Amino acid sequence: MKNLSFNKGRPSCLCIFIFAMLLSNQIYSSELTFGSYVKQSQQQITGTVTDVAGPLPSVTVIVKGTTTSAVTDEKGNFSITASSTDILVFTFIGYTTQEIIVGRQTSIKVILSEDSTQLQEVTINAGYYSVKEKERTGSISRITSKDIETQPVTNMLATMQGRMAGVSITQNSGVPGGGFDIQIRGQNSLRSDANRPLFIIDGVPYASETTGFYLTAGAQPTTTSPLNSINPSDIESIEVLKDADATAIYGSRGANGVVLITTKKGKAGKTTFNVTTMNGTGRVTRFMDLMNTEQYLAMRNEAFVNDGIQPGPSDYDVNGTWDSNKYTDWQKELTGGTVQINDVKYSISGGSAKTQFLISGDFHKETSVFPGEFRYKKGGVHVNLNHTSDDEKFRAQFSGGYTVQDNLQPGTDLSAVSKRLAPNAPSLYTPDGNLNWENSTWENPLSLLESKTKGRTGDLLANVLFSYQILPELTVKSSFGFTDLRHEESRTMPSSMYDPAYEAGSEYSILYLNTTSRRSWIVEPQVEWSKSWNKSRTSVLAGVTFQQLNGRQLVQEGDGFASNALIYNLASAYVVDIRNDSEQDYRYQAFFGRANYNYDDRYIVNLTGRRDGSSRFGPGKQFAYFGAVGAAWLFTNEKLFKEHSTFLSFGKLRASYGTSGSDQIGDYQFMDTYTSSGNNYNGISGLQPTRLFNPDFGWESNTKVEVALETGFLKDRIFLTTGWYSNRSSNQLVGIPLPGTTGFSSIQANLDATVENQGIELTLRTVNFHTEEFDWTTSFNISASRNKLLSFPDLEGSTYQNQYVIGRALNIRKVYHYTGLDPASGLYTFQDVNGDGSLSAPEDKQTVLDLNPKYFGGLQNQISYKGVQLNFLFQFVKQDNYNATYLGGMPGIMSNQPITVLNHWQHPGDTSGYQLYSSGVNGAAVEAFSKYYDSDATITDASYIRLKNVSLSYTIPEKWLSGLKCRVFVEGQNLLTITHYNGADPEFRSPGFLPPLKIFTAGLQFTL
Amino acid sequence: MKNIIFKFSISLMLLCFFCNCDSFVEIDLPPGQLNTPSVFEDRTTANAAMADLYAKLRDSGLITGNGTGLSNLMGNYTDELIYYGSATTGIPPFYNNTLTANNGTVASFWNDSYNQIYSANAIIQGVAASVSLRQPDKDQLTGEALFVRALIHFYLVNLYGAVPYITTTDYEINRHAGRLATELVYQSIITDLVQAQNLIEEDYVVAERIRPNKGAAIALLARVYLYHGDWAEASNTASVVLNDSQYGLESNANMVFLKGSTSTIWQFKPMAEGVNTAEGGNFVFTSGPPPFVALREDLVNAFEAGDHRRISWIGTVSDGSTTWYFANKYKEQTNTGSSVEYSIVLRLSEQFLIRAEARARQGELSGAKDDLNVVRHAAGLGDTPAVSQQEIIDAILRERRVELFTEYGHRFFDLKRSNALDTTLSTVKTGWNTTDALLPVPETELLLNPNLAPQNTGY
Repeated sequence: MKNLSFNKGRPSCLCIFIFAMLLSNQIYSSELTFGSYVKQSQQQITGTVTDVAGPLPSVTVIVKGTTTSAVTDEKGNFSITASSTDILVFTFIGYTTQEIIVGRQTSIKVILSEDSTQLQEVTINAGYYSVKEKERTGSISRITSKDIETQPVTNMLATMQGRMAGVSITQNSGVPGGGFDIQIRGQNSLRSDANRPLFIIDGVPYASETTGFYLTAGAQPTTTSPLNSINPSDIESIEVLKDADATAIYGSRGANGVVLITTKKGKAGKTTFNVTTMNGTGRVTRFMDLMNTEQYLAMRNEAFVNDGIQPGPSDYDVNGTWDSNKYTDWQKELTGGTVQINDVKYSISGGSAKTQFLISGDFHKETSVFPGEFRYKKGGVHVNLNHTSDDEKFRAQFSGGYTVQDNLQPGTDLSAVSKRLAPNAPSLYTPDGNLNWENSTWENPLSLLESKTKGRTGDLLANVLFSYQILPELTVKSSFGFTDLRHEESRTMPSSMYDPAYEAGSEYSILYLNTTSRRSWIVEPQVEWSKSWNKSRTSVLAGVTFQQLNGRQLVQEGDGFASNALIYNLASAYVVDIRNDSEQDYRYQAFFGRANYNYDDRYIVNLTGRRDGSSRFGPGKQFAYFGAVGAAWLFTNEKLFKEHSTFLSFGKLRASYGTSGSDQIGDYQFMDTYTSSGNNYNGISGLQPTRLFNPDFGWESNTKVEVALETGFLKDRIFLTTGWYSNRSSNQLVGIPLPGTTGFSSIQANLDATVENQGIELTLRTVNFHTEEFDWTTSFNISASRNKLLSFPDLEGSTYQNQYVIGRALNIRKVYHYTGLDPASGLYTFQDVNGDGSLSAPEDKQTVLDLNPKYFGGLQNQISYKGVQLNFLFQFVKQDNYNATYLGGMPGIMSNQPITVLNHWQHPGDTSGYQLYSSGVNGAAVEAFSKYYDSDATITDASYIRLKNVSLSYTIPEKWLSGLKCRVFVEGQNLLTITHYNGADPEFRSPGFLPPLKIFTAGLQFTL
Repeated sequence: MKNIIFKFSISLMLLCFFCNCDSFVEIDLPPGQLNTPSVFEDRTTANAAMADLYAKLRDSGLITGNGTGLSNLMGNYTDELIYYGSATTGIPPFYNNTLTANNGTVASFWNDSYNQIYSANAIIQGVAASVSLRQPDKDQLTGEALFVRALIHFYLVNLYGAVPYITTTDYEINRHAGRLATELVYQSIITDLVQAQNLIEEDYVVAERIRPNKGAAIALLARVYLYHGDWAEASNTASVVLNDSQYGLESNANMVFLKGSTSTIWQFKPMAEGVNTAEGGNFVFTSGPPPFVALREDLVNAFEAGDHRRISWIGTVSDGSTTWYFANKYKEQTNTGSSVEYSIVLRLSEQFLIRAEARARQGELSGAKDDLNVVRHAAGLGDTPAVSQQEIIDAILRERRVELFTEYGHRFFDLKRSNALDTTLSTVKTGWNTTDALLPVPETELLLNPNLAPQNTGY
């Protein structure tokens, strides 16, 4: 009842709040002219602002020392009232600010030069507030639309790869609609699924939990990620908040970092129309080198000789059933197709100095590398409106977007089967064009494509921000956000997948249907106060958050259909079974604040804090406090430096310390309940125990420390940021693994273990050339981090004892140590650690391997000469990973193998290569192989350097096209990979699935 | 100025109002969930908890008719089935007898079983704590849960040897549970079943024999006594079932596996009307070569001439040159208008063979022969020619082979308890080792709970 009455009350008090703000605006707009007094010798000044390439719109022109300002229009023209003694200041982000004394001029021509060294003036979005780059006390990485737009990718996480220090991103699948893993400064939580950062789009938290379900996952290694909905072309900038100073204001959700996405905004000036079209192709980056028929059959025959048996009745590859002269490169046949990419984007923007708008839309389509008519389509619209009242006290901002995705992919990724299939397996088709089943001796891989996954997602995201300046120092504002995601996903398994000889009709067909919806709202009223006096500047912010998210997932299974043509119609199924029906209610409430003090642009202190409450915890455990302090010293603003240093142009030392938390544990976990299982028995729908019950778990906490030095040399043409951080997560909130005898695999609880992530991040930016016509900028970032389990009381007595080692990383594997081939038996041997004469786990699995990247980073170059622009990015990672032998199964069974397996034991005395071939009946060989699989021999170096992105564009001079701006471009992704790795793709961590594709596109952009 | 202060304070007041709504983060139960205690305060929901357990037994774990259950896997493991399916499924290690401790199927046998045992224990505890459930309902539910708990432990002990016997839902106890000696596991099984037969109703609580009645508990107890070597108890207990007029052997072998068979003691209701058994879907095939598994020819040849079961229960497919055989006990591969076959877990003929063997082992040879002959007559065969005690025992085991093939691993367990695994299997299975008599304890379990050490030898 308490909830109910509050729910009733909330909307009404919000209305009052908004009304109060609107009311005050009206009163004040009538007192408008009060502030500006008229000078005697005022005159109208007009002019044009240009850069090397042409007119510059949206340049701010201010009369120095006043609030009088103007903005240049599309042709770079402006008009402003000033007196002859005034100084006009021309500012535009990315360009050197110019000051011009009006004097007797009435028409002024200004040429601004691009200033790649001036990034210190850029305003950075820090979430609830924004801060100038040079004044920030926290650690924030940023990329902007300039970097994003040159990449032909559809997932926004892909655009960040290699470009941000401390941010590690891996692609899970090359099939469109697949997910990415992102980790900011390492793994904090023992829970492998609780290391996601918080995603915020224009102030609205975006739930990144999966919307998929395992039954409908299809060709993807992971279930569907909603992050695909975010459209890279709508993004103006992505800021990643990393340290305590930046993340503590996000409290409980900041432990794993925060990704802030700011969408594009309208710009004042002439209405601009912009169209970009792009077409391209994609292919698999690398195939594995596999055996050909001759090599494969030799292996198989040798295996049977070794086993002392004849090939069995179902060994069709070697028992004479299949043609032993046939060879098919199955990787090429099944995953060697070319993806066609088509992409169109448009935008219209414009407006006055007080009101601006932007409308943009896009459509993207790509086909698949698999044979068949598979495709991924994505389209969306984005709208932004900004309004400022005449007295500039009231501001309103609206951003909204709707994205639709429509994905049709095979139900199974053929990558795994393409690597395993015998090279002499039969043809895919019979001469008359039907699927060939070769007298029921094989499962035709194309039959797997009869199974399809369809995904349709509609995602709406809208937010409004109202702000009103009550006093010059005091602003009240509130944001209102709303998200609505609807996702429908299906996977079919029609009877046409099966060999017709088995006469399986459509009564065997199956449909899995997943409908997920998620809706959330957020309201965040805030008060902001700022004041400057003498050399001091202060700003204080306080606000509250209310957020609610409701979700529902319904997964249904339909078995048996009257016809396969009716397979998408659940009503046509003989039997319909509910596989999952779950609802989600997540509520979140917080009070947050920030206080910032800046003395003389030399000393800056920043305090942030938050009190958080989350419905994911039981009564009495819901609330917790988080906070941080950050400080910066701009030592180059000290007199000593100002007077003496010409070499060092900028120097800042900053440090921060604070806490944040995590509530990524799912909803309702503290409740002791039975759940409807969907299992039907005699007409009764079953009830099952939901989980092992523990009501007493609480917040996980994360303490972060960072010290960084930012230095600019030679007018910031060389800019180096070096940071050191150390994050400690304690009171770990985990599903503690339990043995099967408890009936479940884990229990939710806090664990008194501490995990430390320590690392160094280095970012270097150099302006190599900077002339009017030729510009060359290089950016380099590298991050080295160390993940370490610091303490774990009673690790030896816990269920984690064989998973973790104190002092080592979380992402380790404890494996057997491979000690080479036994020259006599030809079998793999391993170190018998405890010397008991037999190999067993855990005693002999004592070799620890760390799968975390040792270091990673990127090297980017941006070169422009007149209208030509060339950007390219090399991404690199130093890491170990499972190698090619991981996937193939034991050499000798009916499964193809990497060509390296040819080097193997053949005669007593052989000591190198792989063990003796066996068809699978040699128990000792199977045993040895299974240990090999679990040993340090299968984890090898998988480091790589990859030419991640190249983009080359040429802007055709405007005079050639009578005012029409045209840019021609070619772009490429994953073009070149340098590695020793013997598997398919070293970047990739999901063996058996399609790795990231090599993409090449070309396009045109028109601006009118 | 007054105006400004007024507005400022209103805004602040509003902010403060928001800050005082802590109850905002209290949420209600989700619609699909019930508080655990309330489940057992109501007969309908308590029955739904029990129904869920039967559905799980039917669809997962050891005694499911799916390809991941004992009927298929232990048929491959022994000399009943030949595997024709893909080399990369979980079945070849069973078929080749090359199981390793990290085998996924072995782990799901273990984990599914203990999850089902947890559900049984949760029912026993929930019912005991219930205040409003009627006593007859309490007895019936407790009895059924005890029966299921004993049944699963019985299979576990025969597959893995010494295993933990879990009787509580307390994870603090269960996470450290050690392996109980085989003998003690048997004692616990017997205790549970004796208690179950006292609690469960004589009549089936629902039609179609799809929930165990007292007879089912007794039938299982008879089997447990036999496996344990308690011959007299085995014989006496089987007699209770055999004297029960509810049951009778079907004289037509085609009727035995229909849902209305009078020889059925306990069977699983399929998940929906029209659905038949998973066994039918797995074993039956209509063209060669077989897609999945086929019967070994020596099993087919083990039938005596004139055995009706050879005709009714074994299907034949030929492509002109090669002939393949399949288990055709359950004949329906797919859905029918209304279901005609249910998966039968306990059948009367096994009880005859239990008593026959128990009698023979005690030297009651004529009684033993009588029971054996009842089964043979039902199959259209004449009296057994066996005379000596050993001949009779051998004849009973032979009879069990042809009567109970591809049912819940009977062949494996019979070979094992008669110490015939090595002699029988080493000739037909290249990969067979003496240590294959026990499955490996899943490696993940050994890593999580050191009290389960040592691993079974050979792994």
